[in-house]
Amino acid sequence: MMRVPPILVLLILCIPLAQASTETTWTHEFDAGYITTKPLVIDDAVYVRTSGFWTGSDDRPIVAAFDVYTGEERWSYSSQTSLQHDMSPLLFVESGTGPCGEWDALLLVGWNDGKITAHSPEDGSIIWQNQTEVNLLGITGQMAIENDRIIVPTRTGVASFCLANGVQLLEVDTGNNGWRNGVLITEEGYVIGDESGHLHTIHRNGTLSTTYLGEGKIRHAPIDTRHGLFVHMQTDSGSSLYLNGSLIGSVGGSPAIPLMHEDRIYASTSNEWISMLCGAETCSIESIESFRSNGELNLRTNNSTVEIWAPSNTPEGGWGVFNQTSLIRMEQTPFDTYGTAAPGFSQGVLALGNDAGILQVTHYDSPQKKVDSVDGSIVQTIHYIAILGLFLLLCRSFSVHDWSQMMKIGSAFFLVLAIAVVPELSVNLAEKTATQSEVEWDSSWPDEWKQTQVIVFEIDGKERAIGGLESQDTVYELTLLACQELGIQSQVEQQYLGAYLVAFNESAGDGWEFTIDGKRSPVGMSEAQLGESSIVEWRPV
Amino acid sequence: MLSAIGTHGPTVSPTALLFLHATLFFIAVWLLIKPQRDGNAWLWPLFLLVAIASISRIAMSFIPNVMPVTILAVMVGSKFGVQRGFAFAVLVTLASNAVLGHGWWSLFQIAGWASVALVASWISVHDENGNLSMTQLAFSALWSVPIFSFIVSLSIIDSGMSAFEFGLYLANGLLFDALHFFGNLFFAMWFGQWFERLLQMNQPTRQLVQQESEHVSAL
Repeated sequence: MMRVPPILVLLILCIPLAQASTETTWTHEFDAGYITTKPLVIDDAVYVRTSGFWTGSDDRPIVAAFDVYTGEERWSYSSQTSLQHDMSPLLFVESGTGPCGEWDALLLVGWNDGKITAHSPEDGSIIWQNQTEVNLLGITGQMAIENDRIIVPTRTGVASFCLANGVQLLEVDTGNNGWRNGVLITEEGYVIGDESGHLHTIHRNGTLSTTYLGEGKIRHAPIDTRHGLFVHMQTDSGSSLYLNGSLIGSVGGSPAIPLMHEDRIYASTSNEWISMLCGAETCSIESIESFRSNGELNLRTNNSTVEIWAPSNTPEGGWGVFNQTSLIRMEQTPFDTYGTAAPGFSQGVLALGNDAGILQVTHYDSPQKKVDSVDGSIVQTIHYIAILGLFLLLCRSFSVHDWSQMMKIGSAFFLVLAIAVVPELSVNLAEKTATQSEVEWDSSWPDEWKQTQVIVFEIDGKERAIGGLESQDTVYELTLLACQELGIQSQVEQQYLGAYLVAFNESAGDGWEFTIDGKRSPVGMSEAQLGESSIVEWRPV
Repeated sequence: MLSAIGTHGPTVSPTALLFLHATLFFIAVWLLIKPQRDGNAWLWPLFLLVAIASISRIAMSFIPNVMPVTILAVMVGSKFGVQRGFAFAVLVTLASNAVLGHGWWSLFQIAGWASVALVASWISVHDENGNLSMTQLAFSALWSVPIFSFIVSLSIIDSGMSAFEFGLYLANGLLFDALHFFGNLFFAMWFGQWFERLLQMNQPTRQLVQQESEHVSAL
């Protein structure tokens, strides 16, 4: 019986570990149709739409909302008039006000019959709807929000509608048809591509300017980079990469919808997954992985971790999960098959849909995940109570001269106490005893680098340094930025303890270590904080 | 195979790691099957304690340095001698690191716990009648820590590390050594007698300790 209390204490200390691994999954199979656009996870709801080529039967495309934790269907809406593939991703907009009025939160849906419908996220009821131009097909591209209006890529151009009441504010016809041609909002106006290789800029006053890129089809919203617009154009023989109107590369066919994060563009085709780095001069392909993905890509960031998810459009299906340069794992479900829909993410939630019309939602925390911090403090409180309780028992054992009992209680007391204080004490000790070397300002460095962050890499015996960059918070961020600027290829693994630098320019050696102002850091690079004028040095171990 | 020595020791290729594990495993098996005069009285208790030590080490891996392995190495070494103690260290390390992660450090962990068992076979925690001495066991919770800690710390030494830097590394680990000690003491005080009953579950007589001590001197 005496062993029960210490076992309970240790079990209590295990609670955070057990909580961290809680994972619940539910699935929903739609009666008909594909899921070809990413599910939206907003607060405690998942919104998803189906698409298909509907003939004869009563089946029609659906937009539905589910409880993110239980999978219970909250509402669904079916269009009776949209009969062809609905490829326009769902769009959620928070409540707001603008010159054209005030609106509550809306779920905006573009349909292939040209309709746009604005639904209440609560019950699916239609708040307003309007109609756009149809030429056999209607809306198939990614819509965008600009202030108080929604910008819609129509079959033949662009239209905009007031979020408050759905009144049409603009409609411009480009004279060409588009397909999945999402719209990009820029300072100049709204930019869309079309099925004939044109790039159209519709100015806010309704005027139109058009650029011809080349023979091919632009089936995504152009990406605005610091070097100009990036377009991944589908061609008869494969696909072409255009930057600021110039051809910069040719890759495989049926390109996916590319996305950009920080200074990287991620793209995919039937043959490969591509990571492009936009440096000081231009954007260029940095790494290619053999992979087949033709639909949407999505990006998940968690602290310093970046993951790019690409649906595998193969019979085996699944989702490829990539870091900035390479495939790190495949995410599988029991229902894998062809897929083109990107996963939907929110904090602790992953929503996957595929061509079989199966939606799988996994949440990694308990439904009361928002009280995680409260749970943490509860565990801490229990820990302190255990210390206090054991101390009192220790005093009691001492008072009754029960030495055997005292040894037992005392060992438990000191162990629980040590568990509480040792980690923090050890960090302080490590900081105080860290070896320190003199950091010298290199006279060859430009004066402009003074009072800015400077980072030095010693790779293969050669030193490369850069300073004057935009100030970063952590060593990890500064390292990535500097690598991009200097054209250094970095390989970083996301491990349990945080980001771990594997190699610079494929040089792994025995490992790499960094110093900040000549001092070793007691924490990893994603936790190591920088000052405004810190000097970071990366050297091989 | 052992491509380089760095902060985390050599990078061992999968083939080399497989070979290393197989070698260690066969050493452990050889140590276990090596004929002895005490029959098989130690066999099941030893396997049971290996399982307990491995599972508890994995389960408690989130608390650094708190695990019953060290105190069990002391008790196994004291009761069954260094030969079985070495086998215990190999099996526990191979089994638990299969989950926690193998590497260069595995060799040093084996050496660390085997050394603890070796010392325990000299400074027995059992009295002359073979009974567990709680005082000796509590004392072993203390002396086993620097032995294990120092040997495991050797794994980080490389050609560029000075004695001063190694000393700093050891100093930085003192707090965790204290945690190790408190963990050992806790397991000794609360579970020592229970472990002892497991050790004795197949023991026909109390003479085995003496016999084992005589035998293992040849190792």
